[in-house]
Amino acid sequence: MRPQDQEFVVQEVTGRLLGRAREADRDGGPTVEALVHDTIYHERRRLDEERDPRERAEGLAWWKLVGRRMGRASEAEQFRIYEEVVERFAREVLGRFNPLVYEVACRAVPVGLGFLLNAVSPRLLGRGFPRLPDVGEAVVVQGRVDELRRLSRRGTVILAPTHVSNMDSPVIGWALHTLGLPPFLYGAGLNLFSNPLLSFFMHNLGAYKVDRRKTASLYKEVLKEYATVALELGYDNLFFPGGTRSRSGEVERHLKLGLMGCGLRAYVQNLREGRDRPEVYVVPATISYALVLEAETLIADHLKSTGRSRFIITDDEFSHPRRVLQFVGDLFRLDGRIYVTVADPVDCFGNRVDAERGVSLDDRGRAVDTRRYVLVGGKPDHDPQRDAEYTRELGLAVVRQFARHNVGLATHLLAYSAWRMLRARRPGVDLYRFLRTTVAEDSLPMGELARDLERLLAEVRGLEDRGEIRLDPRLPRGDPQAVADEGLRGFGTYHTRAALYRRGDRVHPAHMELVLYYRNRLAGYGLEGDRT
Amino acid sequence: MKGRDAAGVLGGGSWGTTVAWLLASKGHETLQWVRDPAVRREIQEGRTNTRYLGEGLRLPEALRAVDDLEEVARRSTVIYAAVPTKAMREVVRALGDHLSGDHVLVSCAKGLEAVTGTRMSEVLREETCCRKIGVLSGPNLAREVAAGQPAATVVASRYDEVIRRASELLVSPRFRVYGNRDVVGVEAGGALKNIIALASGMVRGLGQGDNTRALLMTRGLAEVSRYGVRLGADPLTFSGLAGAGDLIVTCSSPLSRNHQVGYRLGRGEGLEAILADLGQVAEGVNTTRVVHQQARVLDVEMPITDGMHRILFEGSTVEEVTRDLMTRPSRDEIDRVVLAT
Repeated sequence: MRPQDQEFVVQEVTGRLLGRAREADRDGGPTVEALVHDTIYHERRRLDEERDPRERAEGLAWWKLVGRRMGRASEAEQFRIYEEVVERFAREVLGRFNPLVYEVACRAVPVGLGFLLNAVSPRLLGRGFPRLPDVGEAVVVQGRVDELRRLSRRGTVILAPTHVSNMDSPVIGWALHTLGLPPFLYGAGLNLFSNPLLSFFMHNLGAYKVDRRKTASLYKEVLKEYATVALELGYDNLFFPGGTRSRSGEVERHLKLGLMGCGLRAYVQNLREGRDRPEVYVVPATISYALVLEAETLIADHLKSTGRSRFIITDDEFSHPRRVLQFVGDLFRLDGRIYVTVADPVDCFGNRVDAERGVSLDDRGRAVDTRRYVLVGGKPDHDPQRDAEYTRELGLAVVRQFARHNVGLATHLLAYSAWRMLRARRPGVDLYRFLRTTVAEDSLPMGELARDLERLLAEVRGLEDRGEIRLDPRLPRGDPQAVADEGLRGFGTYHTRAALYRRGDRVHPAHMELVLYYRNRLAGYGLEGDRT
Repeated sequence: MKGRDAAGVLGGGSWGTTVAWLLASKGHETLQWVRDPAVRREIQEGRTNTRYLGEGLRLPEALRAVDDLEEVARRSTVIYAAVPTKAMREVVRALGDHLSGDHVLVSCAKGLEAVTGTRMSEVLREETCCRKIGVLSGPNLAREVAAGQPAATVVASRYDEVIRRASELLVSPRFRVYGNRDVVGVEAGGALKNIIALASGMVRGLGQGDNTRALLMTRGLAEVSRYGVRLGADPLTFSGLAGAGDLIVTCSSPLSRNHQVGYRLGRGEGLEAILADLGQVAEGVNTTRVVHQQARVLDVEMPITDGMHRILFEGSTVEEVTRDLMTRPSRDEIDRVVLAT
């Protein structure tokens, strides 16, 4: 963020939240007193668990003082305290910021993915890594890239990718860099900052801090308002609308809409203030990996009875430098690719956008005047109930784009076939029991697996022809055995136990949770064997 | 230049004309798009719509029948679409050329699109740029409403603004309007009750009495609810006007077309002959076909719908189906799974 905008954002966020609190107070909503006490309660609970003694002591002291002041504050004083709390959060989110580095970054430093990936594990920098991999080979940016470029010039863009791995942020950072786009602002989880080198880049490639341990609703309001004001100022933003990494491996079908709604708020605000280029566009994207760094942890978490899964995972593969290094090494040895696929852009109401003309189109291809959606008594204005519904529509459109631009890779296809064949043998068995009791002895004849894979490929190609999914463009055509081999080769590396491996003429399952994880990438398309 | 303060209605049938009459009777300038030139002329010049509503109903001067969709879109922001389900997509697509994001569209047609089974609110969404979409449904026999007898209906929408605006225009001391956020439930109730109405008419045609009809209606409502809930509806919607209310009126009144078709089936007439003779649309026949198909995909148990499908399209006799329905294994009356959803 430009230095001159930083103070403005803090003031604007604080001012708006204060205004809203006054309104709520007047209209019989929650009082500032209740809001502040709720925040104190959540912050104290968090700080009790805080491991850093300095942060713990400083935090607890601050909130204790706030609590004491609230106790004897007049109404006016209560609003002042509320304002201080909001401002504290806003400044935290903004974080440290080095304008100089930002300027340099904006002029597009050729930062290689290899460097970024190595930055993930600084201790390993220079420690026997053969060579920096050729990034242009490894990350393929495809899809509606011209549209993304055009819209970023025409208005403000929210890039909304699928999310499976902590590698997603550097990968997207690289993709944006290769497209010659300036850095996008994005709210990165604190764990990404825990790594000093990556943290440096995150800060300076536009990252602001999101501390997901802070559960107070006021903190979330500050985050949303921060993103809104930044969008109004014309900063392109990166949101992962799934909220957190997909645990099951499936492409997101339910989004966290809170942050997504910021686009519409910014758009309406831009119209109200008569700003130039008021449009906010949402550009969904998918990121497809043949292997996922944290797959084992994520699927295990998913299966830990759905609903009880952890929202924040800090002890996964990403936090083990050796695993990251091995992952990167295997990825390049495999000649593996990461596909970043830019999907069709949409507006804040879920309409497609013709990037060339900068015009929204309805489902029948007719131009839409989006201003008309937000008129209240003839003037553009917010209407929270209405806007939440518009954002729900946007979410549906994004989910549709995710599915259509998801890229099926050999590992996904092989896992899908193997899973459905094994499952067909024991159809009535409970999923957990099936996972536990399917062992290496339950092997599949290679020939049968290849034949099933051939059928699956035909099914998926049918979907691809209708534009409902993408397939790895390098996938060998008309040769299911080659697809199986590529999948097996992938599974043979990196993971501690291969999902599937081949012995002679048979393919054995060795890690059914991983088979499930990778087959899930093709779930939800109504392919045969869709139900687990 | 004239403003955009008129109310719009699409359709010159009995319900479209009744809705237009309700609006215009309150003094709202009302533009009613009517495709049939003869009906349009009669409304415009004779102030009646005898083909659908008989001689009795005088249409107020505030109502104007037009043939131009563009004018309806330009002059009104709230538009009630009361064309038959099979014409809805085509008419609304044409209207869509003239719509913008501030229009409010309300579907007044009960039924699902043939073949696809798409709900009418979804058709409005697909064929226009509009988001502010709602549905109007309830126990509303057009002739009784038009006679000024006390009645009530439901406007359902995900948008509070749609519920508010579409209700305000219609409400009167003789016509109450309730709001509901559950669009799916209200639409499912309005569409699927026609299947039960066919069956109910058939029971009468067979000379069976009120016990049988009560059984049919109650268990019919249970399966309609099951279907709706599977699509995300609130089970409570089905105990309201658009669920039980509409089911009761459609199954009881001899005015209902679906009831008439069922009655004649019960008397032993063939479906084709009945439909050829009737002249008007009986939505229930089509609804039976698409819901039967959807229920299999959705894995929803719908014994009465399946039974009607067998009679209408698979050559089963009424006796066979009745026997099969009556000898199904017993189960708990209240479906806890549905309620828990």
